[in-house]
Amino acid sequence: MLAPEPGAVSGDTVRVAAILERRADPSEVARSEYRIRLHLDHLQRLISYGDRVDRFAVLSAGGDAADSVLKSVNQAAFGFRAYPSREIAVETSKTFLVVSRFHRAIGVITIVASATFLLCIMLLKVDERRRDVAAMRLMGISRSTVIRSVMVESSAIALVGSVFGVGLGFIVSAFVNSHYQAVYQTPLRFAVITPGTVVFSVVLSLLLGIGAGALAARRLARTPPLALFGR
Amino acid sequence: MRLQLAILSLRRHVSRTLLAMLGVTVSAAMLLDMVMLATGMRESFSSLLGRNGFTIRVSPRGTLPFDSEATIARAGDAIAQMKAVAGVTAVAPVLGTTIHALGSAEPVTAFALGIDPAVQGDYELLSGAEPAAGDALVASDALLRATSKAVGDTLDVAIGFDPQLRTYAGRRRLVISGRARFLYLSETDRAAAMQLATVQAMGGTQRADRASLFMVRTAPNVDPEQARAAIERALPRVTALSTAGAVAEAEKRLSYFRQLAFILGAVSLGVGFLLVTTIVTVSVNERIGEIAVMRAIGVSRLHIVQQIVIEGIGLSLAGAVSGLLLGLVTARYLNSILSAFPGLPDAIDFFLFQPSAAFRALGLLVASGIAAGVYPSWRAASLPISTTLREEAVG
Repeated sequence: MLAPEPGAVSGDTVRVAAILERRADPSEVARSEYRIRLHLDHLQRLISYGDRVDRFAVLSAGGDAADSVLKSVNQAAFGFRAYPSREIAVETSKTFLVVSRFHRAIGVITIVASATFLLCIMLLKVDERRRDVAAMRLMGISRSTVIRSVMVESSAIALVGSVFGVGLGFIVSAFVNSHYQAVYQTPLRFAVITPGTVVFSVVLSLLLGIGAGALAARRLARTPPLALFGR
Repeated sequence: MRLQLAILSLRRHVSRTLLAMLGVTVSAAMLLDMVMLATGMRESFSSLLGRNGFTIRVSPRGTLPFDSEATIARAGDAIAQMKAVAGVTAVAPVLGTTIHALGSAEPVTAFALGIDPAVQGDYELLSGAEPAAGDALVASDALLRATSKAVGDTLDVAIGFDPQLRTYAGRRRLVISGRARFLYLSETDRAAAMQLATVQAMGGTQRADRASLFMVRTAPNVDPEQARAAIERALPRVTALSTAGAVAEAEKRLSYFRQLAFILGAVSLGVGFLLVTTIVTVSVNERIGEIAVMRAIGVSRLHIVQQIVIEGIGLSLAGAVSGLLLGLVTARYLNSILSAFPGLPDAIDFFLFQPSAAFRALGLLVASGIAAGVYPSWRAASLPISTTLREEAVG
């Protein structure tokens, strides 16, 4: 609370009544300035602002009530305009929309890179089984059984890999959050792993694993067994 | 001979080689993009600030230029004091404010700069003339569009407009003398520049003899850092920032992108390295018998190592070259996304191609390709020849 008559006198003493924690507000993340909160009338007197404010926040019953309040304020008031919170949110979140689009684009490139890597590894992994496949074929096991067994194996590898990947993702996101929360001094969470993200990444790696397995297995099954043995 | 053998070996598994090349290409493109992101902001911001030779920005104490509405009082005295500092060749005062162009149903709001046309560094004149008279202004295309005016027209301008009471601190009719592109604003920003004295007079007592910022030009042989320190000593009520300091401040604010670039760049390099290592290792393991035969007929260990390393280099090099092209395309796309940041000057590029940085990064990728081939090839070439031949023959 400020002194009863703060004015603009040099030497006034201000008592800190409370310490505020920054809100989890994305719009405040990059701002490093110090902030203080005062009673409205104290600040008006301190800066000789008179009986004026920059804006009002109006709480309404929501839904249609908000629209009718907006309409009546804009019809009745002279010299200022009321905006729905939704409109303001769209205006103020443009920066985050840009960052979000950028993340999405980077995400697509990362997915392409990791998908290629995964495909390559799976093909090599299956290719390593050429002697086993040759032995199975020579024992009289059918082509389709061979293909199925190789596909089951590659799916299992992809599944186990994705489980490890999800675990690694949780660890990395925890690190990212703790790092950036400390850097920007905000409780905001920077990396969030949603069930949708987990499902997407597991399904993608499974599809790639199964696809690569099927591709390599078909090629192996078509090759004569002795050729697989290098004879 | 070695090159021919390496090419033959890569051609033996065409699909595998192509897939590995694709992987390296994407990794190289990502690496290049991240290098461009990490260095681009610094370079383009630095070159933007360095335009017109201004090396120092002076703002109210404790603030960055246009970071707050604070202004520097007794601007005239401040200019004289700064001009007296050794090495300072010119001082450009700037007073920023919001103006309202009246005349239509809704006033058009724009950002206005009070400048000295003789030394200003805030805009480039596209057509028309500088605001040489006190009743002239130059406007951005966005403002001209919003007001439906053209060069030669008159604009009814108010400063300190109170929309509730419909009162102004100052109002004048100003002639649009020219069209300008404002260097520190985006193309969509409505902006105007007029003489400093005009803005000060229209702003009333609150703006009299004040400036938001001074841009200082120093002689080429003078260290801007020394001039900056001298200005702060002469004027304790200001903060002086050299271009290097301003770039460092901007980097601090945009550190997220730099860190992201570093992490993703390192991951890309790691993925590229792993991919080449895996391919080369598997390829070597498949050819253990062949290598043993080569060793048995007298081919030297070094020859074998060189052949396999050439394979790794070939994969990395081909991937790096195609990655360079892919990286430039994706960088262009990513830059177009980030250039939509509200209020970002058009001259700022997040992704800037700098040949030295780009080729260093891709060189690193190729070097990792060499490293990827050395260990498996040396291991294969060092295997006991007779044992390996027997094992391979028995299968």
